[in-house]
Amino acid sequence: MALLELEEVRAGYGPTSVLHGVSLTVPEGEVVSLLGANGAGKTTTLRAITGGVRWTGGIRFGGRSLSRMHTEDVVRCGIAHVPEGRGILTELTVDENLKLGSHLRRDGPAVRKDYDRVFEYFPVLRERRRLSASTLSGGEQQMLALARAFLMKPRLMLLDEPSLGLAPMIVRAIFEIIRTINQADKVAVLLVEQNARIALEMSTQAYVLEVGRVAVTGSSADLKGNDSVRKSYLGY
Amino acid sequence: MQELLQQVVSGIAQGAIFASLALALVLIYNAMGLVNFAQGEMAMVATFIAFTLISRGVDYWIALPVTLVIAFAGGIAIQRIVIHPVERAPLLTLVIITLGLATLLNGLAGALFGYVPRSFPSPFSVQTVDILGAFVSYRDLGVIAVSGAVLLAIYLLLQRTTVGLTLRAAAHHPEASRLLGVHVSWMLALGWGLASAVGAVSGIMVAPIILLEPNMMQTIIIYAFAAAVLGGIESPLGAVIGGLIVGVTVNLAGAYLPFVGGDLQLAVALAIIIGVLVLKPNGLFGRPTVRRV
Amino acid sequence: MLQRLRTTPPRYGLVAVAVLFFIGLPTVIDSFQAGEWAQALILAIAIMGLNILVGYSGQLSLGHGAFMALGAYTSAILAHRYKMDYLVTIPIAGLLTGVVGFLFGVPALRLSALYLALATFALAVVAPSLIKRPAELTGGVQGISLPPPIPPQFAKDAFTGLTGVPMTSDQWVYYVTLAFALLLFWLAWNLVRHRSGRAMRAIRDGEVAAAASGVNIAGYKTLAFGISALYAGIAGSLFGLGTSFVSPDTFPVSLSIQLLVGAVIGGLASIPGPLIGGIFAYFLPIESNQWVPTQTWIPSQIASTVVKAGPAVSYGAVLILIMIFAPNGIVGLITTGYTRLRRRLRGAADREAGQMPPDAQTIS
Repeated sequence: MALLELEEVRAGYGPTSVLHGVSLTVPEGEVVSLLGANGAGKTTTLRAITGGVRWTGGIRFGGRSLSRMHTEDVVRCGIAHVPEGRGILTELTVDENLKLGSHLRRDGPAVRKDYDRVFEYFPVLRERRRLSASTLSGGEQQMLALARAFLMKPRLMLLDEPSLGLAPMIVRAIFEIIRTINQADKVAVLLVEQNARIALEMSTQAYVLEVGRVAVTGSSADLKGNDSVRKSYLGY
Repeated sequence: MQELLQQVVSGIAQGAIFASLALALVLIYNAMGLVNFAQGEMAMVATFIAFTLISRGVDYWIALPVTLVIAFAGGIAIQRIVIHPVERAPLLTLVIITLGLATLLNGLAGALFGYVPRSFPSPFSVQTVDILGAFVSYRDLGVIAVSGAVLLAIYLLLQRTTVGLTLRAAAHHPEASRLLGVHVSWMLALGWGLASAVGAVSGIMVAPIILLEPNMMQTIIIYAFAAAVLGGIESPLGAVIGGLIVGVTVNLAGAYLPFVGGDLQLAVALAIIIGVLVLKPNGLFGRPTVRRV
Repeated sequence: MLQRLRTTPPRYGLVAVAVLFFIGLPTVIDSFQAGEWAQALILAIAIMGLNILVGYSGQLSLGHGAFMALGAYTSAILAHRYKMDYLVTIPIAGLLTGVVGFLFGVPALRLSALYLALATFALAVVAPSLIKRPAELTGGVQGISLPPPIPPQFAKDAFTGLTGVPMTSDQWVYYVTLAFALLLFWLAWNLVRHRSGRAMRAIRDGEVAAAASGVNIAGYKTLAFGISALYAGIAGSLFGLGTSFVSPDTFPVSLSIQLLVGAVIGGLASIPGPLIGGIFAYFLPIESNQWVPTQTWIPSQIASTVVKAGPAVSYGAVLILIMIFAPNGIVGLITTGYTRLRRRLRGAADREAGQMPPDAQTIS
């Protein structure tokens, strides 16, 4: 049984239908990429999982159906979702943002250790702890969002375009850390990315969405190796 | 000089009362972008509850916290019953609902208690104490102390506790907070509860001075509006400072400007409101941020 | 709440019936009741003014009671001090209040809807004390008393010719009020139908878009303020005519609330709405006070509470319930009911799903 299962999910905004039957699975502890052009429905898929948009069909997490659950309850099942735009609470400080990541946890000592690791991965966050989160640059905000998601100690992370708007060096650094988190803590990742190349490097499996349906799926290695798929669907 | 000092201290005491009610307004505005026109009437009802407890023999210092707890629960109840069903309605609808609530509460209080003003007991005597040559009343000092304590408690709650953090997060960033597991809906109710309790303090503090009756908060709410607008309607700190400034200004104007006198002090508050809105709509501490809808 | 109530084609038949009804009304009710209906019509006029501001141009004023006071006092002072004929003072009072309203509209432009509500609310609360101050002019706390109006001879003759009984002062006031009401409602109807009305609705529904289409936002918003104040001023002036007395305490903030209740009940952004609203706002508390104690199914505790509390409880409850369940008021309920009925009679068509993309390929 996979950690996350989507079965024939349809979703949309009002009269506009965006997803027309998306099915995918994310196995325990694996990184899976969700690729596709703009407007294909990648972000909507993530939003459906955490209840940000109405959907029909089947979504199961750890065997449990997420149907009709409020966003905050879905999240409390163990899913951390870093949305498009990162969802940084700019009215609050960096430290307060981080605390909102860990506020649901009861395991005090483990939380402290996780904080140490966060500051190890992202030293800039320690420097700017007391400052307003709005003073962070784009890359730093992405780090904060990631750190916060990590502090939630989730079983699954949904990452929506972590590379968006960031310089290549910072993208590399961030993806390294994502890989570390995945491997060290066995956190599964569903990665939505426009940058297909780096996504395929990170992930073991991939799904390519086109107009609200899965057009292509397979192991990342295979997709990378298949020239025609790369050219038609992935743009490189 | 002594008289000036007395008037200033009196003004600060009045200002503390305005600040409490203004803070209540700011708390709800931060949570929902809504000015709660019923805040004054809610405080009035709480004060009547305190009065009922005290007249049944409950000690003032027990009745006070008990009333605050009841006001807290009442605020939550109002949010759940009246506001929550129409959370997504346009702003004007919500404003009109709060006006309806204010009218309803006023009528109920009138029906249950009548419109005859009653005296409300204060644990502080009106005797004065000599400070730096001026005669400052114990009552003024008491009002400042109690209001100050409550405001401090709210500050600590909001800034230093996890609950306060989630409350602030839910108020400013509801969608992002949901993704962090915050029950935004409960936080909204909590905000109303806190606002109701803070507002209740202003009612209980002012009742000994202006006599308890259903219409007593109608002028106080105008002063609180002035304080909140002056301080910046999004800023809790602004509410407190605005309250103190309004209190001192109105008091001094009434004492030293003959054309203001006692009866036009309220007009001073109106002038402050209009002046601020025309000259610097964001107030002293507000930021010109775009309000999320 | 401020949904687009499509400008329904005028139901001329209904309008004619209504007009005839109101003209004939005093012949079948007694003089005191005519006076009551006059009060309801006065409220309807003021509510029409408020409606132009809120329903059609999207600005919320909670201070229209203050504008009524201005109109009432203008007429009272002109009649009492300067011995002008009261009827002449009515349009003067209206115009003066309209100009003041227009001037108000200028700084109001900079205020968001919420702040405007706040500021006008403060104005309504402060108004009585502002009136009391210049005591030689306004009579201070005691107000100004006026002699009760005497119907002119032609009116007396007409009325007696029709009904056989002499015309009372109250009935004369009723007809004066009705005349102004008809005129002002007709004016409002024209305003809404033509360019300025469309411009105002465009502003209400989205200022940015309206500005982009070249609408003079500032002009129309201040115009709306001025017109709505004019209506309130005339209503206030007629109020003084009817009660022969004005004082600061006859214009408390609860009057502004009463106007808002009426506007909301009747239905914002509609022409018949204010009429229904005025009737409701005036008669609801009176009727509930008389009706409630007679209902045996209401426990006596609740009944006596409602009666003792006066109108406030009913107004407050009605306001809340209407905004939750029927934000478009009675007119809105009728309109949506009618639309829903029509839709059901015609039948609804289902939408077809779009074309299906090809199945997923699995690469292995």
